[in-house]
Amino acid sequence: MDRFKLRKAEPQDVPDILRLIKELAKYEEMEDQVILTEKDLLEDGFGDHPFYHCVVAEVPSEQQNSNNNGSVVIGFAMYYFTYDPWIGKLLYLEDFFVMKEYRGFGIGSEILKLLSLVSNTAVKTRCSSMHFIVAEGNQASIEFYKRRGAADLSLEEGWRLFKIDKSSLLKMSSGPEE
Amino acid sequence: MSNFILRKAEPKDVSDILRLIKELAKFEEMEEQVVLTEKELLEDGFGDHPFYHCVVAEVPQEKQSSDGYTVIGFAMYYFTYDPWIGKLLYLEDFYVMEQFRGYGIGSDILKLLSETAVKTRCSSMHFIVAEWNKTSIEFYKRRGASDLSDEEGWRLYAIEKEDLLKISAKKR
Repeated sequence: MDRFKLRKAEPQDVPDILRLIKELAKYEEMEDQVILTEKDLLEDGFGDHPFYHCVVAEVPSEQQNSNNNGSVVIGFAMYYFTYDPWIGKLLYLEDFFVMKEYRGFGIGSEILKLLSLVSNTAVKTRCSSMHFIVAEGNQASIEFYKRRGAADLSLEEGWRLFKIDKSSLLKMSSGPEE
Repeated sequence: MSNFILRKAEPKDVSDILRLIKELAKFEEMEEQVVLTEKELLEDGFGDHPFYHCVVAEVPQEKQSSDGYTVIGFAMYYFTYDPWIGKLLYLEDFYVMEQFRGYGIGSDILKLLSETAVKTRCSSMHFIVAEWNKTSIEFYKRRGASDLSDEEGWRLYAIEKEDLLKISAKKR
């Protein structure tokens, strides 16, 4: 499996990106929670202001379901830039998945290497650090990241992730003045 | 204290934003960890591609703080992306100077952010809170916040620059 290629995602990759998002969600037993559509992904990732970036991993394919240049997309990483008020720009790794049958060949490592390069070298986006969340039950991923120097900030600094959902946001925006 | 306004931050607010970032860091006993400069805040927030957005709370001159400031609160946020539902508004920093608390300024800031989130078609607002920060946790829970670390087991990880450089230099 030397013959894989990593590249920036393009608009025509959107169906594959959604397919892989759903595969990863299925692995987390949450497939029906993916309500994002190809149209959303296209507008949000390839419009004037991208809200996310993707790199994809593709392998050559003789099969009919390959894309235009005879390849099949078998892995991806979705990331964007966040901001730490103490140090500045960060690269945030949102999703990261390689199809099961293509694991063990170093594709995941190469994707992470590419993301590390992106965070360090792009002049505009030079980042201090890469952040991401991992579910505490996901031992394989935790080990993968720890081997590469990742530190658990939830453990070290006590951070907990919160959300305020749309219905509560609506309540707040239209609520009475305090 | 009904006499305050909330507005989008402008380039001239950068020194106040940095001051308030440092005050909040001091509250968390981490003030020396703020290495960000006014120059970076200016480039990163008010250049071609803003990496963050800010709203500030301002009081009139006659109500200025005991140390002479009129910008007395702020919130820093940006947009993130959930691969299952799309755009989210991420609340990064949120602070009102101590002498201006208890007047509803924080509530109004959060209300403005909620309106922003809805207007920009975000599905949700996310943020992190330190587990010991009970006051903030209560503030957010009263407004419908749920603890995803608790409910779904998420933990925040970081790979620092030194290790990113190691990773990028590694041979296959």
